[in-house]
Amino acid sequence: MERTYVTIEGKSRGYYLLVTLLGLGSVSLLVSFIVSYLKGQQVWGVSNIIPWGQLIIFYIYFIGLSAGAIIISSLSYVLKWDFYKPITRLAVFMGILLMLGAMFFVFVDLGRPEKFWRLFGYYFLNNMTSMFVINSIFYVVYMTLMVFYLWLIFENKKKWAAIVGTLDVIWAISVHMGTGAIFGLIGNREIFFSPIKPFEFLAAALTSGTSLIILTTLGVFKFTGRHIRQDLILSLGNLLSWLIYVLLVLVFVDKLTHLYFPGREPALYLFAGNYWWLFWVFQIGMGILIPLFLLIYPQTGRTVKGVSFASLSVIIGVFGERAALVIPGTAYPQHFFPGFMEGIWGKPGIFPVTVWESLLCLGIVSYIALLFVLGLKFLEILPAQEDEAIVAVEGSNPLLKKMG
Amino acid sequence: MESAVRLPILIQGSKSTRPEEEKMPKWAMVIDLDKCTGCQACIVACKAENNVPHGSPEEQRRRRDIYWNKIIAVTRGRYPKVQTELIPMPCMQCDHPPCVTVCPARATYRREDGIVIQNYRRCIGCKYCMVACPYGARSFNFRKQDEMEYHRPDLPPDPGSREVWPFPVRTQGVVEKCTFCFHRIDRGIREGKRIGVEVLPACVEACPSCAMAFGDLDDPQSPVSIAFGSRTAFRLREELKTNPKVIYLPR
Repeated sequence: MERTYVTIEGKSRGYYLLVTLLGLGSVSLLVSFIVSYLKGQQVWGVSNIIPWGQLIIFYIYFIGLSAGAIIISSLSYVLKWDFYKPITRLAVFMGILLMLGAMFFVFVDLGRPEKFWRLFGYYFLNNMTSMFVINSIFYVVYMTLMVFYLWLIFENKKKWAAIVGTLDVIWAISVHMGTGAIFGLIGNREIFFSPIKPFEFLAAALTSGTSLIILTTLGVFKFTGRHIRQDLILSLGNLLSWLIYVLLVLVFVDKLTHLYFPGREPALYLFAGNYWWLFWVFQIGMGILIPLFLLIYPQTGRTVKGVSFASLSVIIGVFGERAALVIPGTAYPQHFFPGFMEGIWGKPGIFPVTVWESLLCLGIVSYIALLFVLGLKFLEILPAQEDEAIVAVEGSNPLLKKMG
Repeated sequence: MESAVRLPILIQGSKSTRPEEEKMPKWAMVIDLDKCTGCQACIVACKAENNVPHGSPEEQRRRRDIYWNKIIAVTRGRYPKVQTELIPMPCMQCDHPPCVTVCPARATYRREDGIVIQNYRRCIGCKYCMVACPYGARSFNFRKQDEMEYHRPDLPPDPGSREVWPFPVRTQGVVEKCTFCFHRIDRGIREGKRIGVEVLPACVEACPSCAMAFGDLDDPQSPVSIAFGSRTAFRLREELKTNPKVIYLPR
């Protein structure tokens, strides 16, 4: 017996209200983009010291969410765990939209956005030693694969979906590792420079992607009055805790490497400089420790509420992790000459949060959310109401079974 | 055989009239920190020559003012036993420039004579080169330059003394940097002048204490080679192996 998928009706007052709100948010994207294009990037918080700001933080964050969503979606088609079927279409659809959002963020971050097409039009005729170019090729293929994968799922071509899905997962891994390499390869910025940065990015992508899927599933299912199997959310929570362990180990190894040898000032700056809270409160606190505690502690880890709070914490924490890379990584002053550098060149940079830059981010986020909400209305993404027979066919949580 | 070809050049000295296909020069700059008084005339000359905007106090506070050439102050020790060094830092024109490696659009590239150039028309403004530059030599153009900054009422109305470069081409939203005044060098070569003697970058020309020398590093008779060979010399952040062509002589 096959699970059926339906569109949502989308005629309720709440739905229209949501669409209107997100539409208004999208208008702010248009307005702030026009303002920043005409006035230049002086209306943002970026400077010559911190050239990358909120938009790049969101860009790597969204790429991570997309890669994470695609990898999680593979559980049902690639690994053939039918247990996760109800969320597969949702995850792939989210993967596409988040990737689209990431591309929006890169687009508006450019000083000359009208030349954006060159990155995606010239391919190998661009400078192939630049990680941006390698990534742009990754992104184009990734987007195509995802759309193809979703189409195959819609057409219910299971065999092909498994093949394309496998390819897509491998590609998603390389996409996000490539994004990590944008930072990991920069040898003059000590906080960036690390060979395990791509793996750290991948682990952060998986944790944030899983968390976003948990939260979106819960939200959408609740909003549309659907019943969700509790053990599905709990098993995703269990998966999330393992992913956070991996992330913790990678972050620890990365920071230990930077801290161990005497050239440790950059790492100390990250821990105790003016952006210490990005690292300790968000990356370590909300991204790792709080969710780990919530997931391990039996009274919260075995309830949907506990898992959803842990997911929310990870969503915010991983965003902080991206910020704790981009902002302090460039804010730390480069030491051109031995001795104490006086004046502005020796001071760490400061990144002010500005209205237009934040509005741009808000606008893109709401535009993507709007597309998601509209997609639920016009595409068969959500499963029809639970049926006992289907639940029996799809079986119980394979992760828990494997772990005994 | 090659030494036979090069012999006349050695005798002629620093002549740039030799045929271009013979050998590409390797432009370099030597800054003698012992002679440098830290007067910052080089910075002002650079701003005037290349029409680099001054930057409002607000922009300076936000660190958005454009510097093609900057001076950093480095101190050692504590007052009263303190030593301050003022170090002019133009673009280092690296032999292995990280900015060229990371630029996706091939907007920044290394010319055959070793000058690293930024092409504003190709630059998409991704700012990756600013992240990758170990010397903070690159500045982003955060806004459209004001008309006032082009027309410069403080200068005598003599357009003939200035070429097209660089007045009309400054663009908002791209990254820019020091060019070693390649417009002067190229014009000097066309006119058959001796580069490093008759033709100099604006900062070198303006230096009142003659602390800076410019010329072809491959030419042993050029002022830059003579200065380079005179004392111990160092480059900034040598551990990164970018191999800069701005060379410093210590105090």
